[in-house]
Amino acid sequence: MSTSLIWWSVAIYLVIAIAIAVISRDGKANSMSGYFLGGRQMNGVLSALSYSATTYSAFMMVGLAGLTYKGGVGALGFEIVYFAGVSLVAVFGPKFWAVGKKFGYVTPSEMLGHRYQNKAVSVVAALASCLFLIPYAAVQLTGVGYLMSGMTDGAISFSTAVLIATVMALFFCYIAGIRSVVWTDSLQAVMMIVVSTIVALLVISELGGFDGLFTTLEQTKPETLSVPGSGLFSFWTFLGLTIPWFFFSLSNPQVSQRLFMPSSLKALRQMLLGFLVFGLIYTLVSVMWGFSAIVAFPDLAKADMATPALLSSDMVPPVLAVIVMIGIMAAAISTIDSIMLTLSSMVSRDVYANMNTNADDREQLAVGKLVIPVIALMAYAFAKLELSLIAVLSVAASSGLVVVVPALIGSFFWKRGTAAGALASILGTGILVLYIYATGGKLLGFSAGIWGLPVSTLLFVGVSLLTKAPVDVAEAFMAEANSAVKGKQSSAKGNARPAVV
Amino acid sequence: MKTNNWIWAVWALVLLCYVVPYGFLTEVQSWSGSFIYWTITGVLVVVANLMITKDFGEEEA
Repeated sequence: MSTSLIWWSVAIYLVIAIAIAVISRDGKANSMSGYFLGGRQMNGVLSALSYSATTYSAFMMVGLAGLTYKGGVGALGFEIVYFAGVSLVAVFGPKFWAVGKKFGYVTPSEMLGHRYQNKAVSVVAALASCLFLIPYAAVQLTGVGYLMSGMTDGAISFSTAVLIATVMALFFCYIAGIRSVVWTDSLQAVMMIVVSTIVALLVISELGGFDGLFTTLEQTKPETLSVPGSGLFSFWTFLGLTIPWFFFSLSNPQVSQRLFMPSSLKALRQMLLGFLVFGLIYTLVSVMWGFSAIVAFPDLAKADMATPALLSSDMVPPVLAVIVMIGIMAAAISTIDSIMLTLSSMVSRDVYANMNTNADDREQLAVGKLVIPVIALMAYAFAKLELSLIAVLSVAASSGLVVVVPALIGSFFWKRGTAAGALASILGTGILVLYIYATGGKLLGFSAGIWGLPVSTLLFVGVSLLTKAPVDVAEAFMAEANSAVKGKQSSAKGNARPAVV
Repeated sequence: MKTNNWIWAVWALVLLCYVVPYGFLTEVQSWSGSFIYWTITGVLVVVANLMITKDFGEEEA
């Protein structure tokens, strides 16, 4: 594949994406909720496409295909458990949406701080998110780096590819905040799903069709069609990988913040269902890529090279291969820009505004915009470290983010939850997860993914029971949260900044 | 089945995602084993969510 074809394609993609980002500028983006939440007026279809593009990143076409290549069908099971976990949106989505509208929350950590009546909870939850999400963003950049250098045999270097992706993500954030991110995400999502499906069908037909592909697998690598298979997906590994991912839709603020954005519950429903249909197709396509690579290239040195190897093979016409490559780069960018936007809203709203109580909405927005490039730089620096298996690294981030889940679930379902419980749970488990990763990845034989949730739940419940809960706020919060689906929505649709304590 | 009870169907499907492939399909090294099982689970999750969210937005003015 020629390097000039790749460069031209990248240029065309950039022109189209920039045009769409610029067109999206219409509408107000001069307040925190305008810039970071699209004024809580997002329509369902755009939300669904953007939610999909944000969730599904370079991880799918590079990492999940690579995981399938390495471990077989267990990769599909892992992704399906995550997929089922998105059903948490059906339970928590209307609750987030209702309290966000009523109390004017911009970030999920701000919600926790108000619910537990303690600013420290917001600060700690926001910082924990930064700590674990910046490496996750870096992992997306690494995906782009592997892909582009792999497909061009190094003509476009790993560093150049990572730099392009970082600059693009920054640009999409800056043009119009979440509006430009949502519109460019939507373009990217459509491109990703259409082209990757066409290429998957093409490759499968080259390999003898669905029957031919699976017959070859059954004959040459039968262990790839069951678990534990070759051994990568032992039961405990599978459990350790899937638990954090099951809670992804709650634990990752770049997606849970999306629950504040839809214009109505109907739009929220469209977002969820649209995402599920998209996600199922995309999951199957990515897994089929992995299977195809096993048959076509059984001896790759690195599993993450499965997708680049397929795309640069004779089975895929060069123009299509380049479009998929751009699609994967776009997938990474659409995840990174959302993460950058969410983290900067958290730093400004939860950290800066709580330290400097005089900061008004305008000042918070200005700080948020300043933080965006700082986060981009940090992700870029991590990506340059070139760490190996993308999927496992993403899961390390998810194990860390899962520490906020008990406090989040408790905020909606348990009046006795307290700030001390939330803090102990987030800080205590966050430190434990870091300790486990720093000392080889296991504690008493179990991975951080298995320890995280039970430990954070125990700490949250145990410490909450020993301390005094803010019952009045808890009752008002839970009543509002429950009003959305029961049709008893409060008439007061104030947008007041929540007062803490 | 009541709308909000469908969420229990999702939790059951999740549990079975571990039990069936690791308990009953470890020896089935064919597409008709874990591959098709997890794929069908994915489709059922979509259906369950369709049912759970059926009433979303109906009460709005």
